[in-house]
Amino acid sequence: MADQLNKCIQITGDPYGYLAEWKKQNNKKIICCYPMHVPEELVHAAGMLPVVAWRSNEPVTLGHSHIPPYNCGLTRSFIDDLLKDKLNFFDGVVIYRMCLQAQGLPFIIGQNVNLPYLEYLSLPAIYPGLPTRDFLIKELERFKASLEEFSGRKITAEALNQSIAVYNKNRQLLSKIYEIRRQKPGAVKARELMAIVQSSMLMPKEENNQLLEELISELEKREPASQPKIRVIVYGGLCQTPHLDILDLIEELGMEVVDDDLYVGSRYFAGDVQITEKPVEALAERYLAHTPPCPTKGDYATDWTDYIIEMADKNQAQGIISLLIKFCPPHLCYYPDIKNKLAERGIPEVLIEVEHEVISLGQARTRLQTFAEIIGGV
Amino acid sequence: MVQYKPNRLETTKLIGPMVDKHWAELRTAKERGEKVAWCSGPMFIFPYAMGMKCHFMAGYAAYCAGRGAGDQVLEIAEAEGDLIDSCSYHKLHMGMAAAVKKGIPIKEEVMLPLPDLMITGRLCPEMSHYAEGMYRRMNIRVAGVDTPPPAREEDIPAFEEFCERQIREDLIPTLEEVCGKPFDYDKLSEMLAILKKTASLRNECWEYTKHRPSPWTLWDYGVSIAPVFYLMGKPETIPYYEKLKAELAYRVENNIGAISPEEKYRIYWDGWLPWGFLGKFSRKFTNLGMVPIVGRYPWEFFPHPETIEPEPDPVKTFVKQVYSNGGLARQNLPNLALPQIHQWIDEYKIDGLVMFSSKTCRMWNLGHPDVINAVEKKNGIPGVVIEGDMVDSRMISDAQIDTRLGALMEMMEARKSRRA
Amino acid sequence: MGYFAGIDLGSLCTKVVILDMGKKIKSYTILRSGAVYKGVAETALNEALSKAGLEFKDLRYIVSTGYGRTRVPFAQKEVTEISCHARGANYFCPEVRTVIDIGGQDSKVIHVDDQGRPVRFVMNDKCAAGTGRFLEVMAGALGVDLDEMSELSFQAQELIEVSSMCTVFAESEVISLFAGGYKKQEIAAAVYRSIARRITGLVGQLGLKEKVAMTGGVAKSKGMVRALEEKLGITLIIAEEPQIAGALGAALIAREKDVSSA
Repeated sequence: MADQLNKCIQITGDPYGYLAEWKKQNNKKIICCYPMHVPEELVHAAGMLPVVAWRSNEPVTLGHSHIPPYNCGLTRSFIDDLLKDKLNFFDGVVIYRMCLQAQGLPFIIGQNVNLPYLEYLSLPAIYPGLPTRDFLIKELERFKASLEEFSGRKITAEALNQSIAVYNKNRQLLSKIYEIRRQKPGAVKARELMAIVQSSMLMPKEENNQLLEELISELEKREPASQPKIRVIVYGGLCQTPHLDILDLIEELGMEVVDDDLYVGSRYFAGDVQITEKPVEALAERYLAHTPPCPTKGDYATDWTDYIIEMADKNQAQGIISLLIKFCPPHLCYYPDIKNKLAERGIPEVLIEVEHEVISLGQARTRLQTFAEIIGGV
Repeated sequence: MVQYKPNRLETTKLIGPMVDKHWAELRTAKERGEKVAWCSGPMFIFPYAMGMKCHFMAGYAAYCAGRGAGDQVLEIAEAEGDLIDSCSYHKLHMGMAAAVKKGIPIKEEVMLPLPDLMITGRLCPEMSHYAEGMYRRMNIRVAGVDTPPPAREEDIPAFEEFCERQIREDLIPTLEEVCGKPFDYDKLSEMLAILKKTASLRNECWEYTKHRPSPWTLWDYGVSIAPVFYLMGKPETIPYYEKLKAELAYRVENNIGAISPEEKYRIYWDGWLPWGFLGKFSRKFTNLGMVPIVGRYPWEFFPHPETIEPEPDPVKTFVKQVYSNGGLARQNLPNLALPQIHQWIDEYKIDGLVMFSSKTCRMWNLGHPDVINAVEKKNGIPGVVIEGDMVDSRMISDAQIDTRLGALMEMMEARKSRRA
Repeated sequence: MGYFAGIDLGSLCTKVVILDMGKKIKSYTILRSGAVYKGVAETALNEALSKAGLEFKDLRYIVSTGYGRTRVPFAQKEVTEISCHARGANYFCPEVRTVIDIGGQDSKVIHVDDQGRPVRFVMNDKCAAGTGRFLEVMAGALGVDLDEMSELSFQAQELIEVSSMCTVFAESEVISLFAGGYKKQEIAAAVYRSIARRITGLVGQLGLKEKVAMTGGVAKSKGMVRALEEKLGITLIIAEEPQIAGALGAALIAREKDVSSA
């Protein structure tokens, strides 16, 4: 297997080992950024390594003494990992008021874990108007000051713009890889692409940029799949990776994921930050963007389903797979509208609910296979 | 075996007609050509000031569940595509709106007119989903006021400013446009003056809770929240609380408790009140000699009315009631609520905690086990988590409730005998 | 002359249908599955062959379906039970546009076209409530078998509710009701209504398009059928042996595949 891709798979296969080793080798602080919209560039400009929290692949045990099982897998596994002391390479955690579960985490963490730095942001709903914009900028300025205090380093506008440039580059490189997949369906497997995006969430962006550049040359040599398969879009997967077996299953059953709207996917790198004299405001603008439409942002006027349909049209997709993380209210509350609108348009859609606990794939197999049979015949 | 029975208050019987009138007026608003708003969070005072009829989200859930129509409406929501894990309040509204729009028969009392305006008071990030859903499905205009709960005292000034600006720069102009007239600040002041009086009377009632035995329970208070919340500003709320106060004063003077023959355990209740199952829970508690008397959620409604200044700036004073002088946002996160809980336990001589964990709502339940731990350490009293839901009867298991209340009782008894 | 076989390996039962070239049912078998899938597929097939007076070599094409469908090495193809039930229902009534299948451990509602192809579907496969398993557990709690429970439900005088969504909770609810003095007749009727509510919710997600057929083993329960028809407000089309719908559909697909490859 190609070198750089192998590296991505190794790192994402054991983020604990990777970060523990990185900590040993580098004299830098690591700040865990809880998904999905913490502006990592600020952490980066403060001279620390921002890392996006991930869902573990182990059953939750201690975590259930603090969070009931009817909460999403990421919340429970994150607390579980913290309590089991598996994340002691983190010098701090930043969470924001993305949903009720994220909202409840800082209290639990504060009561049970001794972290040098625990920050809670109140990024607002993106309602139109100045009050929201002004409040968001103020909150980001407050975050910046808090990072400066913890890191002992002042974040100048210049430094912040430099970090933004590095992040923009990373987004462009990931975007290029997605374009390769679009041009050559089947050349990159869905689980490989997820590992590539997640590698960016774990590595320093400079290193990841280098890796991605080399990876692009590797991937450009690949050929698309020889057999035409059913073209599908996968969307959803807010905040966390699903069990990768599900992605394999999609491909095994005769379907090709030609594009995605997943967090550990196209969402992570969607939308660059403008380089301006006021970089904090530029970061605010990225959060305020209506694309991609995010069900956690209170954005009632932008239709997520239209975005998904547009993506399907652009990629000539024949069907849409809804990857719904179990117990995720932002997606749950939106789902009926997506399902009904797709049905009205005659676009085949299937719901795959994804759980943290290892579940029998039999049910997912039946649903996905039926979906494939509906689109492509038996 | 001691046979406990509830001593029902006379005054709380008066709330029924007041509440029914509110919902009846709302139901028939369109026939009278009145404008209607649907509101989550405490922002309904603003459409009220404009003479709009306003529906309030959690209040509707209490009303609908109380009228026995909760499950029926939830079924409709699921038939429309909502998944079972979604917030019951959200599903209830999606179901009711679908029923109204498509003419699906539901109990007439729980039908509501589709609104002219959705106001999201976004105290909970998921409260906005129902406005979003209504916008997508029914194309109804939305005005959002995001009210993030503070995790630290230092957050409050910036959050207050944010809340105030949204009200002044977005909500009020929107109301003026929808109603076609300037905003009535005088009416707002008037309503706040009445709220101040009513809530002050209510606070005096809370004082009686300190008495042993307590003359009333959270079940009684639960039905009396409306006058200080979605019935706020109505003149009849004042005589209601005057009567309630008099009745409670009489009980305290004569040592009459909320249950007979004795109040065995005084309980702190966390999470939503189980609106759809008040009868069930109050029976179970009473049968064990337990009275729930204090709770973070039911006690978040304007705990400091002495700080309400209806004039000269009613908007500013209201915002302060949500934040710095209030409970609504402040008691929402356990970060700021916990010190208050410790204090209540000592002040009101609480014996045990019941943390009601709604399976479809994650607002309160992430903190439950940790609050129990913190209270055990600091106050030395035990707690249990009971799973359920605000409205959905499928999520309630009698067996589980009985087992856990039994466990709580054993723990409270064990502590008592250790102290003896 | 050639024959086709459809093998439906369900969680509770394995069904086999043998079809001839003219799409006539030559024979069929229904066996309890047990835990060993591979063995039971062969056993059931042999039984069906023997009933038909045929041998394995007479079969031109075999399709497997059901949860155990990937574990039938001698099948040429495996197809989901959704596609198979759609075909099976269409066989008996080409005007069917909605199929309700309550199986042993899941329930599904399928919209089908005039060719018996599935167009959309919803499934309840996350838990036992609303499935054949739920009925078995409740019958056990009442101390009766499934046929008795069905008969009892027709004698109910009062309306009571079994409200729980979870099979385990519902079981304890049924036991409490019985201990509390409610009669088995009322409880039985309530159990069927509870499933009917669940299924109606599923149907609602797709919309009810007539005609509506019911397939699967639970369709043999008169008590269940009555509760469902009442709740949906329609008459259900049910084949004489609804439990073989999946295997029949698989056999039809086997024939399609063979014909198209010829």
